[in-house]
This record gives sequence, C-alpha cells and structure tokens, in this order.
Amino acid sequence: MKALDIKDLEKRYPNGVEALRSVSLEIEEGEFFGLLGPNGAGKSTLIHCTTGLAQPTGGSIEVFGNDAIDHYAEARQAVGLAPQEPNIDWFLTVEETLDYHAGYFGMPRKERRQRSQELLETFSLVEKKDERTRTLSGGMKRRLILARAMMHRPRLLILDEPTAGVDVELRLELWHYVQKINQEGTTILLTTHYLEEAEQLCDRIAFIAEGQIVAEGTSEALAERFGVANLEDAYLALVGRGELSRSHIETAPEVEA
Amino acid sequence: MSTAQIRLATLWRREVNRFMKIKKQTIGAPLLETFLYITIFGAALGSRIKHLHGIDYVLFVIPGLIMMAWSTNAFSNNSSSILQQKFQGAIQDQLSSPASPAELLLAFSLGGFMRGLIVATLTFLVSVVLVGLPVEHVLVLVPSLFLVGFFFSQLGVLIGVRAEQFDDVAFAQTFILQPLIFLGGVFYSAALLPQPWETLTRFDPIFYMINLVRYGFVGFTEVSIALSLLALTAATAALFLVNLRLFSRGYRLRA
Repeated sequence: MKALDIKDLEKRYPNGVEALRSVSLEIEEGEFFGLLGPNGAGKSTLIHCTTGLAQPTGGSIEVFGNDAIDHYAEARQAVGLAPQEPNIDWFLTVEETLDYHAGYFGMPRKERRQRSQELLETFSLVEKKDERTRTLSGGMKRRLILARAMMHRPRLLILDEPTAGVDVELRLELWHYVQKINQEGTTILLTTHYLEEAEQLCDRIAFIAEGQIVAEGTSEALAERFGVANLEDAYLALVGRGELSRSHIETAPEVEA
Repeated sequence: MSTAQIRLATLWRREVNRFMKIKKQTIGAPLLETFLYITIFGAALGSRIKHLHGIDYVLFVIPGLIMMAWSTNAFSNNSSSILQQKFQGAIQDQLSSPASPAELLLAFSLGGFMRGLIVATLTFLVSVVLVGLPVEHVLVLVPSLFLVGFFFSQLGVLIGVRAEQFDDVAFAQTFILQPLIFLGGVFYSAALLPQPWETLTRFDPIFYMINLVRYGFVGFTEVSIALSLLALTAATAALFLVNLRLFSRGYRLRA
C-alpha cells in the first residue's frame, strides 16, 4: 500500500508564486524517504499541502488511500508532523503540549498519559515536563516538537529538517529513534540539508528544485544518474555548484604562500 | 467519549486553560473594571440621579454592565487567542489535526464565551449581594445573555482570523466595539437624549442587546423584546455561518 501518493500537485500562492509545479511522488508503506532540495525549492509547501496547512491549487494527495482534501480527517489522523520552525504553544507546559496534541487526535486520557510518559522519557524531557514551553532552550523545543509529532502514533511521520541546529547528541538520538520506529513499520518522510543524514537513513531520495521533482531513486542511483561518485556530488550537480565538490577541493593544487 | 468529543473537549480546554493561566489579566482586571463602573455610576452618580424610569439608577445601570462584561471579554479573548496562535504558529498543531472547521470554530467560540460567562456571573452574584439586583424575566434573560455572549464570541473569532497584527484587534475593540457599547445606552436611557441622538441610538445594535438584558433583570425596556430576540438570533446565526465559511476555506489560517 502507498503511504503517500501525490499526483500532479500544484500550489500557486495568491501573489502568483508557483511553489509546486505538477509534483508527483509515491512513498510505499514502511519506506524511509528523503526529500532534498535547496531553500525555497518547495519541500515545506509539499509537506504543508499534505498536512492541511496549505491548500493545493491542483492535483491530488492520498495518505494511505485517503484523499487529503475529501477525507482529510482520516488522512491527517495518519500523519505526524515535526515542522521546521518550532510552533509550540507558549501557554502550555511540556506535558500539556503532548497531552493536548493527542487530544486533538482523539486519543483517550489514559492512553494520552501513558504515551506522553513514554515520549518524555524517550526524549529526555521528564525533568522539564512542568515547565512552560517558552522557557525551553532551542534543543529542548526541538525535542518537544519531535515527541509531539509522534504522540498519536502516526503511520506516516514527516520530519521537516528535524536536525537543523541541534547538537550531535540529539541528532544521533533522533537517528536511532526514527530508525527504530521505521523498522517497526512507521513510514518516514524526511527533509534535510545534511546529505550524509539522508544517505545513511533513507531507502529512497527525491530531489526537488523550483517546485518540481527532478530526480528520484536510491542514493547510488542518483549518483549514477548525475554521473558522480556520491549523493553530495549529485546534489551539487543539481544545484549547479559542482565546483564545490570535495573531490575538487581534495585534488586542488596547494596555494603558495 | 467518541474521538470527535475528545477532540472538541481538548480544543475547548486549551482555550479555557489559556485564559485561566493569566487570570489576573483575563478575569481579575475586567472584574475590577466592572466594579469601578458600578462604584462610579452607582454610588457617586446614583446619589444624584436616584431613579430612571422608576428604577434605582444603580439597578438600571448594572444589567448593561453585565452585558458589557460578557461581550467585551468574549470578544477580546477570542480575537487575542486566535491572533496569538497565528503569530506563534501554534495554531498549526490544531489545523493539521483531524478537527473539522466546525469543531475548530466551536472550540474557539466557546473559549471566549466561558470567559465572558465567568466575569458576568461573578458580577451578577456580587450585585445580588450588594444592591439586591432582581431577575424579573428569567426566560428572556438567559437566552438573551447566551445569545449576546455567543454573538461577541463569533465577532472575536472573525476579527482574530482577519487580523494580521495586534493593532487590528485593538482598532476593532477601541474604535468600533467600545463606542457602540457606550453609546448603546449602558448608562442612560435613550428617551432622555435630544434628537438626533435618540434616533441615532436606535441604529446601534447594542442598544437592543442592552434592552433585552435590562428587561430580563429589572423589567424595563425601550424596544420590542420579541423583535430584538429574533434579530439577535438571526445576527448570531449569520455571523456563525460567515465564520464557518472562513474556517472551511482556511481564510488567513491555511496558506
């Protein structure tokens, strides 16, 4: 079954900007899928269209067979989103943030308590559970939005640049956690600027540029398609900055003093 | 509870939790303001005016103050809550949930409604104890107050959704709502005004709301009760439908 099936998706903003141009994408259930592209390529818009935060102007999105517009409740129930920008409610404590999120998804109280306890421990937030979210550090906020995204046990977890600006410890913790839940059956859609992260974690990767999917496949297949040695070089070729390749830097002649 | 009921209850709980966490500002301050009005207009001015249309002046004024407390709190709670959440981006958590537009709208509306209800109820209880405020027509009073509360909750939602900065909310409250309330006859009877002010007052929708509530409490009105109730019901329903349309379209909520 397809976890996400996007066909000819278009998004044109009222100011005329075409953020997505006939994007088609299929992600199989249980897959770990990476979406890479430069800033402004359309990654977040695609995610927002999938989660109901943006309204497509054309095409269709199906989440586990449910149309994201006509059957939005079923579609959204299956998705957990950790957005790029921490969008936390300042009035709530850490524990309330998790509890309320699960309530929005209809989870009964007893189950909410158990689940929030589990995630507070997983993300080392137990000591912070009664603190107001606005007093948290950047790293703690990032932990919280990841825990919140997983609170209602989504079948499709969307991580929009989850490791941007986080320390090595959290990054590795997150890698381990998402690999674990992926092995347990959760489908993951990851956007990241860290190519080694995508290379290591993702089964398949798509490159998006100027609102269009320009290439798709395993990291090896993408490297082969661009005629280069690895995913990073394939990405640099995509954005037209092949001269920045590490292979060029490593073989560059020494500059005399 | 069904999942839809859990969802609605949680959305509503979030709204109540927000204003209860800052209750000095959201409950304490409006209560103090209302009691200052009662003191100034009841005790100070009341000692000179004594009666209006055969009713103690302080009793004439308090129904309007209760209505004002409910309406302004319902309005400001909802407009601020929605705008704050849009600013923080926190509203995305609710918008990306399976909640329907009607559930979201109802939860936002009931938040302000509850805050207005709490302030109005406390004002009423204190007024009963201090000045013996009567309730002459409970069957008019209860639906009138509930409709007024729900109308201004809807208005708060509308302004909150439309607003792009806090200035927009402040403008609506200070330059539109407050003048309409003050000129709607909270502190005086329209019959005492010279022309054209008396006639102009009758174009102020809040004049009819104040008269409904005043009739419920002290049994005095300057307008038709049945017609006013009908108009208020129609206006509240119309506003709810406008808001529902905005939520369904995602107007200024979804990109």
